[in-house]
Amino acid sequence: MNALQVRDITVTRGAGPVIREVGFTLEPGRITALVGPNGAGKTSLLEAISGVLPAARGSVHIGDVEVTKHSRVARAKLGLAHIEQGRAVFPGLTVLENLKLTARTWPRVDEVLALFPELDKRRNSPTALLSGGEQQMVVLARAFAARPKFLLIDEMSLGLAPVVFTRLLPMVTRFASEGAAILLVEQFTHLALGVSQDAIVVSSGRVTYQGTAEALLAAPNTLHSAYLGE
Amino acid sequence: MLQGALAGLAAGGLYAVLAVCLTLMSRLVRVVNFAQSATGMFGCYVAVHLSIQVGLPTWAGTVVGILIGGALSALLGWIISTWLAEADIGTRSAVTVAVLLLLISLSFILFGNKPQPFHPILDGPAFSVNGVVVSQVTVVTVLLSVVIAVGCRALLSKTSFGLELRALSERPTTAELMGIPAKPLAVAVWAVTGLLSTLVISIVAPSQSNDATSLSMLVVPAAAAALLGGFRRLDLAVVGGLVLGMAQGAVAQVDSLSVVRYFLPFLVIVGLLLWSQRKEVWDVAR
Ligand SMILES: Nc1ncnc2c1ncn2[C@@H]1O[C@H](COP(=O)(O)OP(=O)(O)O)[C@@H](O)[C@H]1O
Ligand SMILES: [Mg+2]
Repeated sequence: MNALQVRDITVTRGAGPVIREVGFTLEPGRITALVGPNGAGKTSLLEAISGVLPAARGSVHIGDVEVTKHSRVARAKLGLAHIEQGRAVFPGLTVLENLKLTARTWPRVDEVLALFPELDKRRNSPTALLSGGEQQMVVLARAFAARPKFLLIDEMSLGLAPVVFTRLLPMVTRFASEGAAILLVEQFTHLALGVSQDAIVVSSGRVTYQGTAEALLAAPNTLHSAYLGE
Repeated sequence: MLQGALAGLAAGGLYAVLAVCLTLMSRLVRVVNFAQSATGMFGCYVAVHLSIQVGLPTWAGTVVGILIGGALSALLGWIISTWLAEADIGTRSAVTVAVLLLLISLSFILFGNKPQPFHPILDGPAFSVNGVVVSQVTVVTVLLSVVIAVGCRALLSKTSFGLELRALSERPTTAELMGIPAKPLAVAVWAVTGLLSTLVISIVAPSQSNDATSLSMLVVPAAAAALLGGFRRLDLAVVGGLVLGMAQGAVAQVDSLSVVRYFLPFLVIVGLLLWSQRKEVWDVAR
């Protein structure tokens, strides 16, 4: 099986659980939107999947391998990539160096740069000097360069103008069409649902909706009450 | 003066190499390693013990000593990256102070508290300038400091190993999420700086005050030199080390000033700190 499975995972942080018994499967070629209000636990869930945070209960499986106790590095080697919230660039590294880290070979770097012409022009600039949108492109390009099978994306739009964000979204769909399984956390709920096949809504650490993105888009009331945790 | 300055150059090369090691450690593995020279001292003492007591040839003892210095440093690095992986630089550095004291005590227990009967690895003059003799030790340590700084710089900027180290030093979690193994790389940095420190101390120690405490406290002038480069720039760390060594040598020649040389590293540290603070105040005022 070539999917990423999260089985009844619970994540605790400080005082208590911030994610309670959440489970779902990410399948190749599909985008799953993960939405919910601020503080719902989306970031914590992603961190437990990639190994930044431990899971208190439940398990995470990549293909046939249970990785709940694996290191971050081991999970990455199994094809998992995690784009963290905020701009996870290496400011002192140039655009090329950022890409080289995951691409490993120069032909792959060129392939990825061909998808991002804006970055190609600034290939030798330190990432710190790029605009917010360009930095987020670097992060996305760097993740693509590794050809991950599973990609977790945490609020790519944070601090970006909606126009900039709508230029990045097609890259995500393109990547899914090449066979990656993607979990997309987004504040722009409608934009995210628009490109996704599946949807999960979390509120206060619990899943309040799980189904197709289409059905959720078609039923604003369902979305509304799921956000409120009803 | 010139004679004194040239005499101080060997110590300067030693400071420079140690300063480069301190800079690498602070940049790449987030630690100010107070045990940097103590590790080297311990490796060198083992080398002396092996050649005097066990009867190994000097070169063989030295090689084993250098390897032990590297291994000791790697072990310390492994411990810190296992149990203090997420700790701040202050906590991680504090552990190395404990190791510094441990290594000094351990060497007193194992080898006694007298200077060791070092066999020089290098001996004799290399050449002379205006009748002032420059020793082989001086030439080799100065060259070594430059070669190590240039080599490390090239390694960091030109190789994928160096690229991964820089990524790790900027955002460790992000780097790990990309599959870059933080711990093995950190331990490698510790091992290499341990090897280099022991190597350079084993070259210079025979011609210096070489009791355990003096050798372990070499970390102070080395820190002064590293401070010149802000614990980031390797070139300035080398310059700082060489200049400090020469200044100490020159001052030692003047009878009325000769005690000043012991305070020089301290004065340099205080001076540089005040200088950098002054700039900060200026920045804030603007
Ligand atoms: N570093 C932290 N330490 C303790 N609690 C935290 C930390 N970060 C977030 N939390 C808490 O965990 C809960 C979930 O946060 P988070 O996963 O960031 O949610 P989201 O990404 O959906 O906004 C929130 O109640 C938040 O206050
Ligand atoms: Mg979040």
